[in-house]
Amino acid sequence: MSGWVARRIVTAGLTVWVAVSLAFIVLRLLPGDAISAQLALSGATEGQIAERRAALGLDEPPLTQYLTMIGGLLQGDLGWSLVTGRPVSQMIAEQVWPTVGLAAAALMVAVLVGIGLALGAVFGGPFVRPVAALITLILMASPIYWTGTLAIYLFSVALGWLPSAGSITDVRAWVLPVAVLGLSVAGGLSRVIGSELTHLRGADFVCTAYAKGLPRRVVAVRHVLRAGLGGAVTLITLQAGYLLGGAVVTETLFVRRGLGGVLLGAVNTQDYPVIQGLVVFNAIVYSVVTTFGDLVGAAIDPRLREPQA
Amino acid sequence: MLRFVRRMALISCSMALLLACVGALFVAALLQRGTAAAQPAPTRIVYGLTLLPSGFDPHINASSELGIPLRSVYDTLVYRDPNTKDFVPGLAERWEISPDGLTYTFYLKQGVRFHDGEVFDAFAVAKNLDRITAPETRSQKALFLLGPFERYIVPDANTIQLVLRAPFTPLLDGLAQVYLGMASPKALAEYDRDRYQLHQVGTGPYQMVDYIPGDYMLLRRNPAYTWGPSFYQKDNPAPVEEIEFRFFTDPATRAPALESGAAQIMGEIPALDAIAIARRPDLRLVTQAIPGLPLQFLLNTTQPPLDRGEVRRALLAATDRQGIVDAVFQQFSPVAYGPLSASSPFYEPRVRDFYPYNRDQAKKVLADLNYTDTDSDGVLDLNGQPLRLTMIVPSWGNAPAVAQKIQSQWREIGVELTLKQVPNLAGLLTATKEEYHLVAFNDFGVDPSLLNRFYLSDAPNNLSRVVNTNLDQWLRRATETLDPAERAALYTQIQALIMDQGLVLPIRDYVNLNGYSTIVDGLAFDAYGWFPLLPNLRYVGSGRLGN
Repeated sequence: MSGWVARRIVTAGLTVWVAVSLAFIVLRLLPGDAISAQLALSGATEGQIAERRAALGLDEPPLTQYLTMIGGLLQGDLGWSLVTGRPVSQMIAEQVWPTVGLAAAALMVAVLVGIGLALGAVFGGPFVRPVAALITLILMASPIYWTGTLAIYLFSVALGWLPSAGSITDVRAWVLPVAVLGLSVAGGLSRVIGSELTHLRGADFVCTAYAKGLPRRVVAVRHVLRAGLGGAVTLITLQAGYLLGGAVVTETLFVRRGLGGVLLGAVNTQDYPVIQGLVVFNAIVYSVVTTFGDLVGAAIDPRLREPQA
Repeated sequence: MLRFVRRMALISCSMALLLACVGALFVAALLQRGTAAAQPAPTRIVYGLTLLPSGFDPHINASSELGIPLRSVYDTLVYRDPNTKDFVPGLAERWEISPDGLTYTFYLKQGVRFHDGEVFDAFAVAKNLDRITAPETRSQKALFLLGPFERYIVPDANTIQLVLRAPFTPLLDGLAQVYLGMASPKALAEYDRDRYQLHQVGTGPYQMVDYIPGDYMLLRRNPAYTWGPSFYQKDNPAPVEEIEFRFFTDPATRAPALESGAAQIMGEIPALDAIAIARRPDLRLVTQAIPGLPLQFLLNTTQPPLDRGEVRRALLAATDRQGIVDAVFQQFSPVAYGPLSASSPFYEPRVRDFYPYNRDQAKKVLADLNYTDTDSDGVLDLNGQPLRLTMIVPSWGNAPAVAQKIQSQWREIGVELTLKQVPNLAGLLTATKEEYHLVAFNDFGVDPSLLNRFYLSDAPNNLSRVVNTNLDQWLRRATETLDPAERAALYTQIQALIMDQGLVLPIRDYVNLNGYSTIVDGLAFDAYGWFPLLPNLRYVGSGRLGN
């Protein structure tokens, strides 16, 4: 067990290192720099711009900048924003909870709706089955931007039921973004869980269950679903990465605070330290969530457990 | 094996429990804040901002967006009248400029207090100047508005003198902008450089109550405010007590927010949505001209074939600007004719006579220069070289739609235009380091010294790569002289020369399309066009407010 944990930690560390190094290289390959853009309309002279770059260490060779960044990371320092001049860790900490809250709530919606649709598409009656399959298809094919705009026009503008924008302290302002983001993930989940269930439907243990005289509902939920969920958990945790990305669009659309705004702003102003900080953060979240997913998956499905030494 | 399962289950359960605890704490925090926010607040509206500024400290940051709320949190030493654009007293009741233009003496109003109760005086101004000019502040705009500022002198508590190294006529214009707003020295001392923006304290008609980055900023009316400039309404019978600013960065979300009542005032409405808003009985539209440079394309005069003035002039004549404005901006934008927009001081109306749309004339000029389509591919050639041009197009400000219109108009006279889209300002500046023929780039502001950053031969943004000693001399002289008549004469010459040389293809003057709910009235903007006069807003009520 401890060996397994150690391996996971090393893997996670490597993931973070590769991600942040790639981000560093890609950001330096992109044309332009934050400071000349920042001062382009200020009336600053070329000399003043060069001075400012030097003060921020941007005139150092890339290798020095890279080593400085890695050194900082090892000490838990994500650096300082070039644009706001504030610590990156503080900028992320300020905005992380609304995004995590949105992603977590959306994941819950996605899992519930996804499993429901999968069960409907596989075990439903002659009417339910095609409807569930069609909904799955529509959810998979609709981009968040489109469904979100549609939802705003329908529920906020036309019906006036729910706010299109509002404080995160207003529970009603959560409904539309959570639903839109959650449903966008639900389609994919439903598709994968559904195919898993279809695959299992003819398995021997299912026949046995039917032979025992269990009703179809019980067989579907207690036997087939449980066997199919082990693999699905891995998929669900993989969605965490997608959800963090999808949250960027959702946050913009529904005027919510969160990491989306930080990321968009940083990309537009080429604020390297902030982008790098977000990459590190996402890589850590990803590693933690997938590890957690493996643990849960193993708890649900004995076949996913590693052979004991 | 069983032990492994138990351990797994235990770990899973404890992690789930931990997550649940964190979630519960989060919800509890939300609910607590929810009840706090639910207290009845008199006359509160939501004002939609359109950009998420990277920072909100006017001394440090440079975005126009920050001024929309903060213009009312701070006062400046002087103001510009919104209509005449003349300088009027602000925190300084009067001022004198020495004949050599090097010393500005400001006599300050007395009885002015910051929101934290501190007294405003010359020492407070000095503290602000210290902060803005300190290298560690790394000011992105305020510092440069001070021009060749050298030092200040405080003869007494109510007088401050600013001494310059060289004459700098735009100084008063800088001092009238929110970036040189006067902050409470006590608050500046209490919070460090990075945290002050969360706790800003000024002397203005509204005070900052709360600012959650990325979420909202809340302003509350300052009941003690009596020292405002002449154009702030003194006896507003129904001022708006609280204004919450939120960020509607996606243009598609702005009109729905107004229509659903999620916001009561919203700037930068897309033109098509503005038509719909103007038709609604519960919403109104204000089109506000923004002085400065128009949406324009600078022509690179060093890049053949644009090194020939005749080619540049032919291209200007081949552009149907009215057609572009009608198609892209609907009826809301005025066509631009010169390097300054029509709402700028010193605008020269005679620029309208340059380059009326005349496709046949353009064709004839190019034919006279021996441009012919020798290989019948629809593109003119000269000595076997096709007339192909590259245009750098930013992804914002409707520039891509405008560029496509120009592309199709120029195709009709046999000019092939390649569009090179860039995602942000850094990308645009990098693209201009390579070969290009045209680039869209502009700036806003009231003082025409803006032109110096674009047309001086050594200006960082001299993207038309013009080197003209007359132009250099006139532009420099216009920022040194204190004589308005001389300035006017110089700017007339400057605008005529820029147009005569065909250095710029102006398209449209900027207007900000603002929508607002009829529950408020009196929405008007300051001389710079972007910043609302919040103390003049009246709360009328009985509209659709929130959901």
